[in-house]
Amino acid sequence: MTRARVSVGERQDRRFAIAASAPAVLTICALFIYPMVYAVVLSLYHLNDKLPAQTRFVGLGNYAQLLGDQDFIHALGRTATFCVFTVFGGVALAIGIAVLLNVKFRGRTITRVLLLVPWAVPPVVNGIMWKLIFDGSYGVANEVLMAVGLTDTRIQWLATPKLALAVLIFAELWKLTPFLALMALASIQSIPSNVYRAAMIDGANAWQRFWRVTLPNMRGTVMFLLIVQSMWSIKVFDSIYVLTGGTGGPAEATTTINFLAYLTTFSYLDRGYGAAMSIAIMVIVCLVAVFWVLLLGRRKDA
Amino acid sequence: MGAFDNRISRRFMLQAGGVALGSWALAGCVSPTAGDSEASGSAASSPLKPDSGDVTGELTILDDNTNLVFQDGLIDVFQEQTGITVKTYEMGNFNDLHDRFATLFAAQDSSFDIIMTWAGWSAEFGKAGWLQELDSSALPSDLIRPALDAVSWDSKVYGMPKFASVQTMFWNKEHFSAAGLDPDTVPENWDDFVAAAKACTTADHYGYCCDMGNPAGAYQNYLRALLLAGGELYDADWNPQLNSEAGIEGLTKMVELLNLHKAMDPASLQITNASDLNDVFAQGNTSIVFNWPFQWAAATKDGAKTTAATTGNGLIPGINVRSASIDGSEGYAINVNSPNKQAALKWLQFASSATAQAQIVGQEGWFPVSQTTLDDPATAEALPVVTTYKQSTDYVTKRYGTPWSSELDQLLSVQVNQAMNQQITPEEALNNAQEELKPIVERYMA
Repeated sequence: MTRARVSVGERQDRRFAIAASAPAVLTICALFIYPMVYAVVLSLYHLNDKLPAQTRFVGLGNYAQLLGDQDFIHALGRTATFCVFTVFGGVALAIGIAVLLNVKFRGRTITRVLLLVPWAVPPVVNGIMWKLIFDGSYGVANEVLMAVGLTDTRIQWLATPKLALAVLIFAELWKLTPFLALMALASIQSIPSNVYRAAMIDGANAWQRFWRVTLPNMRGTVMFLLIVQSMWSIKVFDSIYVLTGGTGGPAEATTTINFLAYLTTFSYLDRGYGAAMSIAIMVIVCLVAVFWVLLLGRRKDA
Repeated sequence: MGAFDNRISRRFMLQAGGVALGSWALAGCVSPTAGDSEASGSAASSPLKPDSGDVTGELTILDDNTNLVFQDGLIDVFQEQTGITVKTYEMGNFNDLHDRFATLFAAQDSSFDIIMTWAGWSAEFGKAGWLQELDSSALPSDLIRPALDAVSWDSKVYGMPKFASVQTMFWNKEHFSAAGLDPDTVPENWDDFVAAAKACTTADHYGYCCDMGNPAGAYQNYLRALLLAGGELYDADWNPQLNSEAGIEGLTKMVELLNLHKAMDPASLQITNASDLNDVFAQGNTSIVFNWPFQWAAATKDGAKTTAATTGNGLIPGINVRSASIDGSEGYAINVNSPNKQAALKWLQFASSATAQAQIVGQEGWFPVSQTTLDDPATAEALPVVTTYKQSTDYVTKRYGTPWSSELDQLLSVQVNQAMNQQITPEEALNNAQEELKPIVERYMA
């Protein structure tokens, strides 16, 4: 193993490259690495601001506590339920919309533009909007259901645990599906049309063309959609905060792991344990992303 | 071996070592305990005494949205009286303030010299060493006890009250008349109240409505029911009594009101603050509420469907006692990191002075914090509900503000909601809550 000799010019180029990238690297260090290291260090301490005298180094004690924490386990279950609906439902819905928008019809361009509106609405506005729509006393949802005769009493959407979670899933799908659909549409449009023509010559119907041509060619995009939607779903916070008035929902029905970390840190002032939760969430997000990459990232040649 | 060399070279080891060293150095810069409360506690270790000399400075205040009188003129009066400038006066939604304060204090931020507080936060932030303790010489001599309790914890005073507040019963006299009830007679026990609420329930509105849509609301409604049943939340040694006979009976009565008698508006489980409850009553959408004194102002203002003539006010009817209530007094506290503590103290004293109190009572409908103002005939004239307030002092009125208030609110709200939705019985709910609360209290009282 002999190292190639580096010329003076190359060395100067390298120095210049380092100097040029230093501001960006330092900014990232300041804005990302330092807070993350701080969070990791914090997670190794028992640190509750209301009990300053009890502050002490506990190593991995907070993580060990997480494993047996029923609140965290329940929140993990709620997060899983939420993710199943928003990830699979969201991606399936997005692909469906993309396929429909790929078909030529009058007004297709304006439809594509309108599709972006939910994505353009700020998350807090989105939350407030759905909170008003599903208000038990004055909400439009009840008015519509009563008008069409589906119910004769006002449903307390955000006061009933299961319904509150359903509303949250619905609001989140409405917000994120348009973005996913546009990504899917871009992917579909990149598939060469002659592939479809060949399939049609071979006698494939629309359903077969979707399964045998469209989906396999969208593999990379589907993986990307699953990864980003999984990440967003695990980390969901703003919708919960706004919809439930910062409480985590009736009987904690919408308290996901990220919201629980927030409550632990800011409501209970248990910063050490809250940091441990946050690190655990980061690890979960990474694992889920790796899972999707391993499942869909490598094309297996049959 | 060659492949191994390709994977782990000397350069790789150096780079990895560099990263590890960098992280270690970075971690060294990070001390989660640096400058924590212990440190700030030193600043707060000596209670603040008023300075006899000239006090100047610029103040920043973060208040909740229950008082408009300060920005509507009292700040100007304060500045004229003291020569101290109020640089910023910001009002936030009460439900958002706790976490905002926690962030502010944890960062040892001095952006705000003064924050609003109540019994729970005084205990919580006071115990954390984030609020400036006040010396008794800084306090007016005629403060009423419940108001002072709202800014105290563990025999230490962390602020000054700005208004006193106790829940009383408000009823719509028109609804009572329409239901065949005497509009001027207040129900004196729980059974009479239930009968009135049922009689007032129509296709348009429910007889009773409350605000238990968030943890604080669930706690307040449960606590009130417990006190009405003659119970205590803690014994003398701070052992929780959530699942006492009185607690179970109190919660059972609430569950029955919603599910058996169907006299409670189901929206009660979604209403998250008393201001919304104000509007429900003032717009004639419910007949009876147990609410804070500012309900009177809301019910008698322009635009309300209720008026002074159609709004009744009296003691909350008890279950096993004649009456009981919960306290909701609020005050101001000084950020322990504030560089303007003497000027901030002047603000606290001004807020509890007769000048400010007269406006808080007259314009907003809160009870005064000083016995002198309370006994002034002009106070009762400006605020008829003061008469009921005076009656309520004969009965138990508590709030139990503790450092673990946030945890208690959260865990109790889960159980109360499940009980109200009949997923579990009141007894099961309170047994669960009791088991969850005990270790929390032990941790704090250790």
